Amino acid sequence: MNRVAAAVVSIALLAATASPVLRKPWEDGFPLSPYAMFAFRRPTKLTMDYPLGLTASGQRRYLSPWIIGSTEVLQALQVIARAKAARTLPALCTTIAGRVAVLDEYRDVVSITIVTGTHDAVDFLVRDQLGTEQQRARCEVKR
Amino acid sequence: MKRIADWWFAPAPAERLAAVRIIVGTFALAWVLIRIREGYAVAQLPAENFRPTGVVLLLEAPLPPDLALAISIATAVLLGAFVVGFRFRVLAPLAAVALLWTLTYRNSWGMIFHTENLLVLHVIALACAPAADAFAIDRRPAQPAAIGYGWVLKLMVALTVVTYVLAGIAKLRIAGMDWIDGEQLRNQIAVDNLRKALLGDSIAPLATQFLDHPSEFTVFSIMTLVLEFGSPIALVGPRLGRLWALAAWGFHLGVVLLMNIWFLYPLCGVAYVALLRAERPFSWAIGRYRRWRGMLGT
Repeated sequence: MNRVAAAVVSIALLAATASPVLRKPWEDGFPLSPYAMFAFRRPTKLTMDYPLGLTASGQRRYLSPWIIGSTEVLQALQVIARAKAARTLPALCTTIAGRVAVLDEYRDVVSITIVTGTHDAVDFLVRDQLGTEQQRARCEVKR
Repeated sequence: MKRIADWWFAPAPAERLAAVRIIVGTFALAWVLIRIREGYAVAQLPAENFRPTGVVLLLEAPLPPDLALAISIATAVLLGAFVVGFRFRVLAPLAAVALLWTLTYRNSWGMIFHTENLLVLHVIALACAPAADAFAIDRRPAQPAAIGYGWVLKLMVALTVVTYVLAGIAKLRIAGMDWIDGEQLRNQIAVDNLRKALLGDSIAPLATQFLDHPSEFTVFSIMTLVLEFGSPIALVGPRLGRLWALAAWGFHLGVVLLMNIWFLYPLCGVAYVALLRAERPFSWAIGRYRRWRGMLGT
């Protein structure tokens, strides 16, 4: 390799890496990204769908993302969002219940409910204040 | 032009580039191996979850999960050859392409992560270079590379710098100078931790302590932008480069403490290894080994 070839390789890689600046910041890609993940304006109020485990006494247990379908939180969220859009939340609920049924750490969980919850992030995290929740699907944990 | 070329092609020892190859390659290998099981699980998600990006846009439908798994295993084998410097000129580009495919495929299931981008770019840069002229199974060439080894290290640093500057530009393009007031950063951190809490994941250890005090996030916001737009100083000289790397490492540590998001590549320091005298521990270990063998011989 001579200097010209090395310069071409260098310029091509750098130009490709910088190229997302020409796209809209929300047009993400891999591995060429505009890295806009922390740039968006967000309110502290969040509405999202998530599953809950319920014990016989009605206590709520949050379920690990891998039980939904991915160890990554955001990917697990997408699994729920797609199931909701495809109207297959009951089937997802049953799948989650099947996974929970064989886990010792959730042995007190008797049913699964998938809810749409709206919470203020600061109130929830700092003051333990729950927002509102609406049930979308419910199924029993069969052991 | 000549001054720029002289700066870009400033010499560096073959051992330094080789050490960077081993460190970055080992990280990539470990990353692929650790992620194989999870990648296989994700590849079995229903096809409606498939959202191809990058090179995976070539596909119209997801691969059979077993084929995706086989590609991941082949990637790990190729990265093994990359690390030990075996048939580097042929296998290193293949390893880079395989890594690009494997990680892009994992990012094609509804969520693009930003923890692996720089790793892929660095492996591609190393694969284009004579990075196995030392510390390798391949026989050492009779002559060192005519253009030297320093340009690749500089390219890796420049790629790192571009990614940080892009992150700064995105903030100003979307939010403008409002991003500095701290509220946006506070809200990002709050919402990210709420999502984790609702999905049974651990929230960040310092999140709740800071969330009730939005004004403190102004300092974090300003520091973030200074770090991102100040990253080109890493190209000015080795000492400034190491100082910036230390600051960037601290920034990623802060992201762990406030968001529980682990950018492992920079957190392990591997993202900044091109700024260091990476050959030193290897040379020290080889020297010790030779001395030990010499003692055994006598």
